[in-house]
Amino acid sequence: MSGVVEVGLGRRTRRGLAVWAWVVFAFLYVPIFVLVVFSFNASSRVNIWGGFSFQWYGEALRNDVITSAIRVSLIVALVSTVVSMVLGTAVALALDRYRFRGRRALDGTVYLPIVIPDITMAVMLLVFFAEAFKFIDSFGPRLTLGISTVALSHIAFNISFVCVVVRARLDQFDRTLEEAARDLYATGWQTFRRVTLPLIMPGVAAGGLLALTLSLDDVVISAFVSGPGSTTLPVYVFSSIRRGVTPELNAISTLMLAASIALVLGSLALQRRRASASQQTQVL
Amino acid sequence: MGPARRSPPTAGAAGEEAAAVARRRQGMLLASPGALYLLIFFVVPLGLITVYSFATRTSTGRTALSGWNVESYRAIGDDIIVGIIGRSAWLATLTTVLCVVVGYPFAYYIATRPRHVRAVLLVLVMIPFWTNALVRVFAIRFLLGSNGPASALSESLGFGTFRILFTPTAVTIGMVYSFLTFMVLPLYVALERMDWSLTEAARDLYASGAKAFWKVTLPLTRSGIVAGCVLVFVPSFGSYVVPDILGGAKTLLIGSYIARQFRDARNWPLGAALSVLLIVAMLVAVALNQRSGSGAEDGGRPRGRRRGPGRGVAEPATAEAS
Amino acid sequence: MTEAVAAVEIEGVTKRFGEVVAVDDIDLAIGDGEFFALLGPSGCGKTTTLRMIAGLDLPTEGRLRIFGEEVGMAPPDRRPVNTVFQAYALFPHMTVRQNIEFGLRMRGIKGPELGRRVAEATGMVRLAGMEERRPDQLSGGQQQRVALARALVNQPKVLLLDEPLGALDLKLRQEMQQELKALQREVGITFVFVTHDQEEALAMSERIGVMSEGRLLQVGTPREIYDRPASRFVADFIGRTNILEASVESAGTVRLDSGALIDAEASTPEGSRVAVSLRPERVRLQPRGTAAAEGASLDGEVRDITYLGHAVVYEVAAGPVSVEVRVEGEVGEPFAAGDEVTVAWDRGAAAVVAD
Repeated sequence: MSGVVEVGLGRRTRRGLAVWAWVVFAFLYVPIFVLVVFSFNASSRVNIWGGFSFQWYGEALRNDVITSAIRVSLIVALVSTVVSMVLGTAVALALDRYRFRGRRALDGTVYLPIVIPDITMAVMLLVFFAEAFKFIDSFGPRLTLGISTVALSHIAFNISFVCVVVRARLDQFDRTLEEAARDLYATGWQTFRRVTLPLIMPGVAAGGLLALTLSLDDVVISAFVSGPGSTTLPVYVFSSIRRGVTPELNAISTLMLAASIALVLGSLALQRRRASASQQTQVL
Repeated sequence: MGPARRSPPTAGAAGEEAAAVARRRQGMLLASPGALYLLIFFVVPLGLITVYSFATRTSTGRTALSGWNVESYRAIGDDIIVGIIGRSAWLATLTTVLCVVVGYPFAYYIATRPRHVRAVLLVLVMIPFWTNALVRVFAIRFLLGSNGPASALSESLGFGTFRILFTPTAVTIGMVYSFLTFMVLPLYVALERMDWSLTEAARDLYASGAKAFWKVTLPLTRSGIVAGCVLVFVPSFGSYVVPDILGGAKTLLIGSYIARQFRDARNWPLGAALSVLLIVAMLVAVALNQRSGSGAEDGGRPRGRRRGPGRGVAEPATAEAS
Repeated sequence: MTEAVAAVEIEGVTKRFGEVVAVDDIDLAIGDGEFFALLGPSGCGKTTTLRMIAGLDLPTEGRLRIFGEEVGMAPPDRRPVNTVFQAYALFPHMTVRQNIEFGLRMRGIKGPELGRRVAEATGMVRLAGMEERRPDQLSGGQQQRVALARALVNQPKVLLLDEPLGALDLKLRQEMQQELKALQREVGITFVFVTHDQEEALAMSERIGVMSEGRLLQVGTPREIYDRPASRFVADFIGRTNILEASVESAGTVRLDSGALIDAEASTPEGSRVAVSLRPERVRLQPRGTAAAEGASLDGEVRDITYLGHAVVYEVAAGPVSVEVRVEGEVGEPFAAGDEVTVAWDRGAAAVVAD
């Protein structure tokens, strides 16, 4: 179905559809656009345009709390992405290729972190860390919530997302390619290294990008498992919004927006390599 | 990842069995780091929250892991909490319905464009889908604020300022804004896969344009609608960020209420019980979706993959493909 | 085939997938340098047999030897065989050259030896100049050549081909049939190929093994298989035929269930139930009453006529049975529907098949 499909819609209906589509696009983009525009507002009053200025970016980036939050966010995102890429890919391979005891249980469990709401995941982990610390503290060390608990929590949900994306890729994997490699004298490891891994790599990379995005996006879970000094950027923004809207927030938001868009374009470029549009959305 | 078969050169069930055992061990080894991680950081917390939901809250707001009771579950029956759950369900339903109504024609339009246009439009949908959710909610907050740009515009046009923020309307707008793309993407997938010759056949068989849509297109894209509804309903029901930023005291939803139990109110057992309830509700919704989705085009994607050694034992039907 | 060492020797091999018996106690010897076809409908176990020779599936029971060496449980990377896969299974992330080099590199061959052998293989399948392309930039026929080169470059003792021409269109398929035969003569090694296309098997192979439901029903030259099918299934599966129910009257005669007594060689004892296979193109159509002295005949009436261009097919009702008669190279249609005719054939044209 590559051409324009005219299936029996009247001209008025077709025009109505087009108008509607652009209204929806406006709905999706206008708020973001306004936010970005006002981040360059020279006036400190949020509703009055006072000329173009980078002032708020400067102020935001001079704010130690914000720079520290950015650093925490980046560290957590990188660590959780790398770890979950490795663990998630291994789980995906095991589930796709092997039968072993506990496979069914794992297959069911690995999807749960995706399904359950953030807030429940957040309180679960909060309770878990509270209990774990109580237990560990009885041996001496005094543990508190911090950057490591945030990273550990992010890995917990990112494994699942990476696993799902990689499995979607494995689903379409032509197993005869591996048989061909083995027929051509490759050992099991060589087959994995030379054939399987290169072919699932786009899936692994897409999973990694998704993990990175989700980690940088997360507010709720981070808010519950971070301690003083380990505030992530979204948690900082979230608590600031509750106190009120400032032009500084617009500036930070615009930066976050730019980062997300860079990630989207990156992942689209990755998937473009072979997947059709429908596969892209299926992966999500 | 072929198994290392170094069995003696006589064929036989024993050698086959040994290879299968080796493969099982290899699979277990591969899965175990991730599985262990999920066990510690997901399954154990899930168990703990369930345990907590039966615990006692002491007068100082601490949680005593003794005196097990179902008080917290009984408390869910309180008028206030029932009201909160009802409001959450209502707002989530409203959001879902609005997303279908807004999203279906939108997805239809995109899916019926020529291929190159479609690719561009799809990217335009993907960008908000992947964009930081908090920033997008903040954008709505900023736009709708009583001293924000929208209000300023309406004032300068002589309509006066408007107060929409901190109302259920604002929360609904925010949720639709946040989750609309979750609806559009599965709808798009279903519509894009649609075999339009079926609609043409309906037209050929004397159906009007509208009839063809209701009788053919809509039923055939049902799986996309159902999937989209689950993808929207589940996060809106448990939403915490949107109502927290856009809602006021009158729009307290279950997500915020749970958060409150773990923060200011310090009633962890009640929060735990509500979390368990929420998780169960979500699992039911997802299970229902999977059941209704199977058999339809994207839900029923065949799971049987290409044949390969080792899996044949458990999947005889796909093993032989001469 | 037993005097010399067989290229592939399969002895009592059975393959079960759980409860399903995919291959049921097969014995087969394929000679050195032979072009052998495994033929059968889908699901008959032919691909599984091929995969067991390749080492991609392991036999549940039985022994498998390649040039006298036991390989039953050896992994594929330790067998002197290579496979051309059904959909070619070319590595999509590698160029043509990298695909062809793969097996050699895995065995540690590099340097000038590698280059020489790759050049030789690409030349042999006429792919020179395409080495740097990727599989998705090639046509179906070219992909097929890459798959062949990738296997042959390893100088296997046996080349296995799984439906090698199945993915090509008719014209290309016929071209490739000739080319594969020529290639086999050139390299002189044993080719074992799997197909469900009986014409392809007849046209290409020196010998054919017909399989059904996991069993090997008959092994023979194309002529033997076509003219002297060993069973009703083989007769019916290879080409078109008329199957007439009958019983053995004496050593040289068979009585059809319709009553007619015909001359035919039967190997089973008197009174046993048999089927008579009559190829539509081996029988003649004559006006009633002009039966030939030699051979046998059946009287009937023309029921239907189908014009095929190069042939005309008559459907003749002979009592309760219907017989298909194929007439080629005749100008005009000498018979019309309703004509009283006699279906006649030479002694030896009818094959008696045990039940």
